[in-house]
Amino acid sequence: MRNRILVGFLLFMLSGAASAQELTLPELEGYKKTTNYPVFTPDNLWDFINGAADTYLAYGFIDLHVAEYKKGKNVIKLEVYRHSDNTMAFGIYSTERSPSFRFMNLGAQGYIAEGSINFFKGNYYVKIRTYSKSEKTLNSAQSLAGKVSDMLKGDSKMPAVLSQFPEEGRKQNEETYINESVLGHKFLNKAYKATYEIGSDIFSIFILGSSSTDEVQKTINAYLKAAGQDATDSGSGKYMLTDGYNGTIFLAWNENQIVIISGLAKDQSEIADRYTSEILK
Amino acid sequence: MKPINRRGFLRTGITGAAGIVALSPSLVSGASSEQQENIIYRTLGKTGMKVPVISFGVMRSDNPNLCKAAYDKGIKLFDTANGYQNGNNETMLGNLLKDYPRNSFYLATKVKPIGVDRDGKPSDQTTAEDFLDKFNTSLSRLKMDYVDILYVHDIRNPEMFEYKPIIDTVKKLKKDGKAKFIGFSTHANEAVVIDAAAGKNIFDVILTSYNFKQTYVNELNSAIKKANQAGIGIVAMKTLAGGGFLDKEKTRPINSTAALKWVLSNPDVTTTIPGMTDFDQLDLNVKILADITITESEKKDLLIAAAETGLYCTGCTRCLQACPKKLPVPDLMRAYMYAYGYSNPGMAYSLLGELGTNDNPCKDCNTCQVNCTKNFNIREKIADISRLVNVPSDFLV
Repeated sequence: MRNRILVGFLLFMLSGAASAQELTLPELEGYKKTTNYPVFTPDNLWDFINGAADTYLAYGFIDLHVAEYKKGKNVIKLEVYRHSDNTMAFGIYSTERSPSFRFMNLGAQGYIAEGSINFFKGNYYVKIRTYSKSEKTLNSAQSLAGKVSDMLKGDSKMPAVLSQFPEEGRKQNEETYINESVLGHKFLNKAYKATYEIGSDIFSIFILGSSSTDEVQKTINAYLKAAGQDATDSGSGKYMLTDGYNGTIFLAWNENQIVIISGLAKDQSEIADRYTSEILK
Repeated sequence: MKPINRRGFLRTGITGAAGIVALSPSLVSGASSEQQENIIYRTLGKTGMKVPVISFGVMRSDNPNLCKAAYDKGIKLFDTANGYQNGNNETMLGNLLKDYPRNSFYLATKVKPIGVDRDGKPSDQTTAEDFLDKFNTSLSRLKMDYVDILYVHDIRNPEMFEYKPIIDTVKKLKKDGKAKFIGFSTHANEAVVIDAAAGKNIFDVILTSYNFKQTYVNELNSAIKKANQAGIGIVAMKTLAGGGFLDKEKTRPINSTAALKWVLSNPDVTTTIPGMTDFDQLDLNVKILADITITESEKKDLLIAAAETGLYCTGCTRCLQACPKKLPVPDLMRAYMYAYGYSNPGMAYSLLGELGTNDNPCKDCNTCQVNCTKNFNIREKIADISRLVNVPSDFLV
């Protein structure tokens, strides 16, 4: 009986074995590596990063491996977050990125800021930090970042959609990916966002991808309906509407993408037209 | 669908009264910016701050218009942290709130001391300088001279109350007026730290996890009451018991209104800080501002949700004292969750290897002494998961 249970148990276990993820974090010369932390999962991530966990979960967080590298009193902490795909990894990375950081060639993109080195590559978002002010320790942290980047599999490119954003007036390194509730609306999801500054005008452009024309139409109709517009009139590709919460919205779309511009005034439709046309050309 | 044309944008939805009538309830209320009537206020302990029962946990929001709408509808306390979105969250709030009269809202932020271990004990890395640096950075991002509440982020061990570098720093910040009031947040071992804090004369406010699914809620209620009687204001977080869904597939949402009303049914809790990312959530929560009565239907929803044990060990650690063999029960429960909850036997196997337990660690006990707060059958689960150590690792890679 005992054997039968074990066999059944094994069969059950083996059915899920393909999803097992083992990650051996690299050694760092001169430092002792310890991994006293469990592998964090969506159920206990809050135990490690408290309230910030909700944001990670919203970006398809799967698991987190943590290691500490110690040399005397100097400690370097490594956190490797695995997300569901490259877009999600960029998404969480971009929520924590600031254009004021010093960017470096690491993974798809990385930066250094006050003892922290963060980068993303493939499905991974990596955070390395040290509280030491020693230059040697900071150099070791950079060396570790390089090793981790080399070790992780995945694409070292920025998401392709970002290249669709026109360059004119675009604020560099402020692009983000929003997985849900774009502009605070449940019916708008999965958007890349870029911020623009032209003269005294600051506005945001969102590009929402979609798997089908039907889905594009549904999303457009939902927004138009919420704004009081008869959804049956939404066949053509460009609209301006007033969103009670977000002000004037310019909306344009083609078969598989929707472009939304927020932050321009009603009389700035020429600017909106120029940008949406370039994105959807 | 017609292809995009170059004729420019059509105007819609900006018509006048007739057009506005046709808008959806969500967008109409946003357009009108009307404040909820009959808002229920409670006083936050000895701070004297009168705050609506619903506040705003801003941590996930990147849309200032959502915060603006919340303000317009009557929410006045905004909660962020130095670490949320690596500071971008504070920056967003600062850019928004600089245009509002400073006495028309309350702002709370949190700073986490560095070098604190997993048991919540500080180390020689836990310095006042780092804490102050972070707090000053927060003030700069928030574009404010002071915050209304400064929390020490994540206290889970009363030893922190004796750690002068941090305690003296927050006291001085209060004395200097950079923090009107000081407090701490707690996500684990809450009842113990709140009870301990009630006996100290350090903090004005405590931000605690508090929800209908906590198995140690009686102890937590007692600690909260004691703190309240000592004049400490209580703010509740994690009111949806983590995630807001009953299942991992996110198909069965928790009744968030019922969960918030349950929290507010405790008069010792002043306000809650639900996270909000969309206007529908905001509208739902705004309704609670004026009505915290739990309906029979909501009670039923909570009963059903509370009855779901799930696989997740809360890590209360009571079992550690009860188990005569001093087994690492919470870790073994985690291994069980990896195997059965995530179908990830490799992870479970690795964890069992780290723990060094054998294939039948309970064999010398006739009856289990552990009375799990989540009603897990500990002995059965340990027996089940421990068999995995006999499986060749090749099967699991």
